[in-house]
Amino acid sequence: MSRKISMKTAINEALDLEMRRDPTVILMGEDIVGGTGAPGEDDAWGGVLGVTKGLFAKHGDRLLDTPLSESAYIGAAIGAAACGMRPVAELMFMDFMGVCFDQIFNQAAKFRYMFGGKAETPVVIRGMVGAGFRAAAQHSQMLTPLFTHIPGLKVVCPSNAYDAKGLLIQSIRDNDPVIFCEHKNLYGHETEVPAESYAIPFGEANVLRDGDHVTIVSYGLTVHRAMEAADALARDKVEAEVIDLRTLSPIDWDTIIDSVERTGRLVVVDEAHPRCNLATDISAFVAQNAFGALKAGIQMVTPPHTPVPFSPSLEDLYIPSAEAVAAAVRRTMAPSPRSTLAA
Amino acid sequence: MAPVIGIIANPVSARDIRRVVANAANLQIADRANIVLRVLAALRACGVTDVLMMPEHGGIGRHVARGLSRAAAHGEAPYPAIHPLPMPVTGTVADTHRAADSMRRAGVAAIVVLGGDGTHRAVVAHCGAVPMAGISTGTNNAFPEHREPTITGLATGLAVTGRVPEHIAFAANKRIDVSLDGRVAEIALVDVALVTERYVGARALWKPDSFRELFVTFADPEVIGMSAIAGLLEPVTREESGGLMVRLGAPASGTAASGVTVLRAPIAPGLMASVGVADWRRMPAGVPFVPEVKAGSIALDGEREIAFSAQDRVSLTLRDDAFRTVNVGGCMQYAAQYRLLTGAPAPVTAEL
Amino acid sequence: MTDNPYPLDKADLLQAYRTMRTIREFEERLHIDFAKGDIPGFVHLYAGEEACATGIMMHLNDNDRIASTHRGHGHCIAKGVDVHEMMAEIYGRSTGACRGKGGSMHIADLSKGMMGANGILGAGAPLICGAALAAKFRGDGGVGITFVGDGASNQGTFLESMNLAAVWNLPVVFVVENNGYAESTAMEWAVSCDSYIDRATGFGLPGVTVDGTDFFAVHEAAGEIIRRAREGGGPALLECNMVRFYGHFEGDAQTYRAKGEVESLRANRDCIKLLAQRLTETGIVAPAELETIDREVNALIEDAVRCAKAAPLPVAADLLKDVYVAY
Repeated sequence: MSRKISMKTAINEALDLEMRRDPTVILMGEDIVGGTGAPGEDDAWGGVLGVTKGLFAKHGDRLLDTPLSESAYIGAAIGAAACGMRPVAELMFMDFMGVCFDQIFNQAAKFRYMFGGKAETPVVIRGMVGAGFRAAAQHSQMLTPLFTHIPGLKVVCPSNAYDAKGLLIQSIRDNDPVIFCEHKNLYGHETEVPAESYAIPFGEANVLRDGDHVTIVSYGLTVHRAMEAADALARDKVEAEVIDLRTLSPIDWDTIIDSVERTGRLVVVDEAHPRCNLATDISAFVAQNAFGALKAGIQMVTPPHTPVPFSPSLEDLYIPSAEAVAAAVRRTMAPSPRSTLAA
Repeated sequence: MAPVIGIIANPVSARDIRRVVANAANLQIADRANIVLRVLAALRACGVTDVLMMPEHGGIGRHVARGLSRAAAHGEAPYPAIHPLPMPVTGTVADTHRAADSMRRAGVAAIVVLGGDGTHRAVVAHCGAVPMAGISTGTNNAFPEHREPTITGLATGLAVTGRVPEHIAFAANKRIDVSLDGRVAEIALVDVALVTERYVGARALWKPDSFRELFVTFADPEVIGMSAIAGLLEPVTREESGGLMVRLGAPASGTAASGVTVLRAPIAPGLMASVGVADWRRMPAGVPFVPEVKAGSIALDGEREIAFSAQDRVSLTLRDDAFRTVNVGGCMQYAAQYRLLTGAPAPVTAEL
Repeated sequence: MTDNPYPLDKADLLQAYRTMRTIREFEERLHIDFAKGDIPGFVHLYAGEEACATGIMMHLNDNDRIASTHRGHGHCIAKGVDVHEMMAEIYGRSTGACRGKGGSMHIADLSKGMMGANGILGAGAPLICGAALAAKFRGDGGVGITFVGDGASNQGTFLESMNLAAVWNLPVVFVVENNGYAESTAMEWAVSCDSYIDRATGFGLPGVTVDGTDFFAVHEAAGEIIRRAREGGGPALLECNMVRFYGHFEGDAQTYRAKGEVESLRANRDCIKLLAQRLTETGIVAPAELETIDREVNALIEDAVRCAKAAPLPVAADLLKDVYVAY
């Protein structure tokens, strides 16, 4: 049975289904139950934006509210994972990674390799990413490149409710540490989602729109900007292929290369800061592996190299827009200097 | 010149296993330093201008120095000058021994001690005739009285500046000498317990099955620790001559036929233990007693200190009038009676 | 038969001695071989501190987890990690405990409950909270022990973990191995409150200080603390005051230490000498029995070094292996 639900509800459903299926799945985080020890209602919040609301009633003590102490509880989630549990730790805002990153990149990510293949750390760390929420510089970042840089971590960033459910279920079942990035501006976004359980394999991009003129690669919220741009471009008879990466590590290189070899043009849209991000990574990979197919220079659409500003007037400028994506596509469609010379 | 006071503050008392096997308290370093500052303020109010202090690496001195420099920055002088003893710090009981010894040789009028029974014992072993003013910052604290340190400081200040007559200002105390092979190896201020565990281990006593014999200088039903066992059988005051000796047995044998009675005693903070008692009698002063236990360990003031075997000849002798302490209660009553703290601070004369 | 005054039977006493001797011999051998240039990277030796690891670990089983430090060889050996695999690991061989991919600072054996030495100081504390949480969910009575030095006790992870363990009432024991030096910096200078017990108290944990060079003191205190944790009494802190016979790492000239300090420690505070003395003095163990263990330990370490040197190095394919379970 399929019905339209929001990404927030889809995530809640995935957690519920996996907790029912596997008793080793536990949830922990700040206020994921909410109101613990306080005089009012139990289960007051269900997470700061209500993503885990209602799970406490179903699973009780398997949801653990934590002190405001990311280093300790993220580390504890990792330690529990190394001892046979499948913890899903909510790091409210991924920006808080700064206070617990050691546990993630020096501990969880390295256990397996450093211990000669003898450890498994099936932990999921989920948290909000992205700008557009008027949350300013420390609650709005898209820090995905920090995670993709680290061998041993898997990085997921869904763009819709259907993917979020399937990818989160896969993340929980996965035996490696997974960073699950939830764009806060997509929580209310609704799509058709089956009620039953399903897993979406990692490393398989989703081609949202076929097109032969240009390949647009993106993930998370900017997938929607890319789709808007593609719709606009179609009115000008430019057919863009839009690829939603879904997982950033592993990444589906084959789908990207196949598409670029067909279209000859590439635009990468990334909400992360522009230096050493997914856009530069994908551009470099394509330049190295499909250079001959390229008919034009690769275009990258990213925010400027600044922190995320607060004032709505500035934040709206910061986030890559559909217009910026369309403009980038048009730049790839313009006659290149080389072809001008040849003419 | 005003009399000089010594202060020995043990940074590591109250840290043993009784925090886990019982619910004993920990007094934080900052609190110990605050106690020293309270004592210093009281001493200064009595005219004491110089204090010798045992150096330690536990942080008490550092916190005290902070308090002093803050007062100096205010332009106030509520405290005497502090002179750390020039001595190495080992972080062991040897520091207390050395400090007490140096203070005695430097001619201090009294030594204020912050610690538990063990710390006080270490000071008494080396302070000779110098009176001691005890402040309890340890675990069981049967020996030092429980009272506000400011008052202890005041009494000490009044006593050493000669404003309270000597026979009131100072009190005599008993101790038990523990001899091994004819030589005094250790002393105890409150109690000597013979237990069957023949190793020192984590030192504290909390397993009554191992208790065999107990010798106490005083038996006070209002204290905790080993001396509580004696105190609950037959109280003996600190002032009277002699002490009490108790033969203990396993409480399991506490049947009418065995002649063992079971006593429930607070042997550590919050720890009520069932102790089998065979018999007890007074322990006269000056008479050496040889314990019946042939091998085990000797616990002094509640902590195992010496393991001994059948080859070792152990004997215990109680001494009356073995060392002096400041009689805080007496000093303060006298101070009230003669209005010692009214009017302008009296000029102080040295009476060392 | 001589009456045994100790809370351990003779076999356990001999095992304690053997474990401590094995650690000492392992470390003394590394000291020599490192100076010869046989060992890659860097090593931090546990020599002098053996009583602490041994006295604690004798209360643990494979269900109990430990998180160790950069100075982890002693913890590994006492927790039962195979000495041959450890030596091979330190030599970077494919037969090593981590197949040559971890080295001295990352030796682990999860099957023994050893969650790894750790190159990040203080990082083990949160991890062990997780291990203890897992034990609590499983209900297997397992406890978690995390070791930190006097230096890493200043890390936020350590302090946060004491709070978390208290809030969740986890069966965790925080062991502070206080050897007086954070690398070269004196503990007295670097720890503001001067007492780890005060820090524990600040989080509502009982704290106990013992002489970490006295095997029996450590064993007895650790036994009570671990039992308390197993019984649901919650976390506690154990501070072991101990001595470091070598530098922070091998090659450390140790000019920051007092003249004659190490010699004095070796003469007066050698935990193995103290244990041997007590065992033989009481007549429970004959000196010859200890000498036999010494010989066996020497042979074991000699064989471990010989095997390590003869073992194959990892091959190129190993470089890419085991980054992920599946990718």
